[in-house]
Amino acid sequence: MSKIWAIAFNTFKEAVRNRILYILLVFALLIMASSGIVGELTISARERIITDLGITSINFFGLLIAIFVGIGLVYNELDKKTIYTIVTKPIDRHQFLIGKYLGLLLTIYINILIMVFFFLAVIYYQGYMDFDVMSKALWVEQANGEWASPTVISYFMYYAKAIVFSLAKAFGTLTLLYHSPLTQGILLVVFYGCLELAIITGFAILYSSFSTPTLSAMLTVLTFIIGRLNADIIVFADRMKEKGFETSTQKMKYIFAWVAAHVTPNLWLFNRRTSLAVDNVEIRLEAYPVLYGILYSAAILYLAVHIFRKRNFK
Amino acid sequence: MPIPIVQTRNLTKIYVRDVIGTEFGRLKIRLKNRKVAALKSLDLDVNEGEIFGLLGPNGAGKTTAIKVLMGLIFATEGTATLMGKPLGDKSVKASIGFLPENPYFYDYLKGYEFLNYYGQLYGMSAAARRKKIPELLELVGLSHAEDLPLKGYSKGMLQRAGLAQALLNDPKIVFLDEPQSGLDPFGRKEIRDLILSLKEKGATVFFSSHILADAEVICDRVAILSKGRLMNVGAMDEILSARIKAYEIEAMNLSEDMVSELEKMSERFIRRTKTVLFVVEKEEIALAIVKKIIASPGHLVSYTPRRETLEEFFIRNIEPQNV
Repeated sequence: MSKIWAIAFNTFKEAVRNRILYILLVFALLIMASSGIVGELTISARERIITDLGITSINFFGLLIAIFVGIGLVYNELDKKTIYTIVTKPIDRHQFLIGKYLGLLLTIYINILIMVFFFLAVIYYQGYMDFDVMSKALWVEQANGEWASPTVISYFMYYAKAIVFSLAKAFGTLTLLYHSPLTQGILLVVFYGCLELAIITGFAILYSSFSTPTLSAMLTVLTFIIGRLNADIIVFADRMKEKGFETSTQKMKYIFAWVAAHVTPNLWLFNRRTSLAVDNVEIRLEAYPVLYGILYSAAILYLAVHIFRKRNFK
Repeated sequence: MPIPIVQTRNLTKIYVRDVIGTEFGRLKIRLKNRKVAALKSLDLDVNEGEIFGLLGPNGAGKTTAIKVLMGLIFATEGTATLMGKPLGDKSVKASIGFLPENPYFYDYLKGYEFLNYYGQLYGMSAAARRKKIPELLELVGLSHAEDLPLKGYSKGMLQRAGLAQALLNDPKIVFLDEPQSGLDPFGRKEIRDLILSLKEKGATVFFSSHILADAEVICDRVAILSKGRLMNVGAMDEILSARIKAYEIEAMNLSEDMVSELEKMSERFIRRTKTVLFVVEKEEIALAIVKKIIASPGHLVSYTPRRETLEEFFIRNIEPQNV
């Protein structure tokens, strides 16, 4: 087990010393920071927009890391032949692959943690501000040329205090010491998202264990899309069956849809964003999606290991 | 008869090329001739404690043989054992060191981190790693670069780092694939010395090379591969000594008449600043020349029976391959 962890930490180190990760992270944080401005554009649904935008960017950037780091993970080792000196050490090939998988998950989850922390801070910060009142007050003062008037100074003092409190509250939320109904919902939505990413990362590694990075990226994205549409495909297939098959083409379509829906993961299980941001439904921790996520990831990883074990490293 | 530490029987590797692939940068669809035999029924026995050289021109199957033994690729046919156990046995892997050809490592790691990571993979304790790594860095001459990322290493430094990782576990067998390729004469000599010192410590060294002069000096036994087939195997003198290629006789202070007489008897004649050199193929003639020189007022400087070099053996026996 310690060897698996050594490989996982090395994978994490590799990702951390890669510039792409920082570009992605900075970009995600910028989007979240700007969600306040986007919120301004709506008339009444500012909170909803901010929540929606924040969760979407966390999921999206998590997905980007899973795909773009995941697909190269095994391929690069083979391409640069670094694997030669790894698998000849007293480890099994499956330990190598599992270590790589865990290392990538660790990287993704730590990034998500940073993004969530920042996102929570943005939300708390929004709660402190009444931008209309404040900017109006500020506007009058500045128009009079009074840059250092007591209003302006107290405004900036308040601004600074709000940032510190928001960061503190965000930290409190992540350590489960403090929460509001909304932030608790957010944490659960992100948790479900993490389960989804565990499955997608598994697929990225599975594909990259036998094909090129480009093909792996395409296959992973395709798997993600089919997985997200999974529930719709099942409904579609059932309707077709109810109608009855008139031609053999229809039957073929039904079989294809049925197989596609049952082989690909049902990622819809993990998408709770709309329930939280749009429908205002309370999010709960359910056993089924958790078990589904863990077992499905394990199955995919098992398949990847199976392929990887028989591979010739030319 | 001791049990061979490395043994292969009928070891064969046939690569099947993809139907769609690239060749010289162009897309190529290949339906026929997809099978390439890289290694054809190789039978080898390497004894414990010896330095064994696997020699052959490029594309002869040296790297393929090592990769099969290392479990990186799987043999199409045949069997192999290391230390009497089948390939892939973890306890055997724990006592093996391996340096691949033109090694490439995680370039974001610093020298020390790199060895520390590999030490973890060997299952070494933190204390053992703390003790062993500085020793090894010292041994391969990289102590000054332990805090430098491998990205900044020169080719020779990477080769040394590669050697260090192969020696982390004090291995019983060390496999080195072309350990001297791309190194300058100093680097090559250091590797030669290192291989000899490993033998002194009782390790078996199995290495592939096409630098024949070096192999000739250090190997106890060699195997010669060509086009995937084993051409010859044995101790260096078994392969080469039977054939004394020529006798070289060097002399000085000879009269001009004498020189022209001896020149007629020899195959080749070279005049140097102070001495003259006669090269003769037959032993009788060589001895006759020596007798004449001794009988004359001149001096005999040297008499050297010259055996065939490995390089000459290669050129005589192995045709070049278009690989």
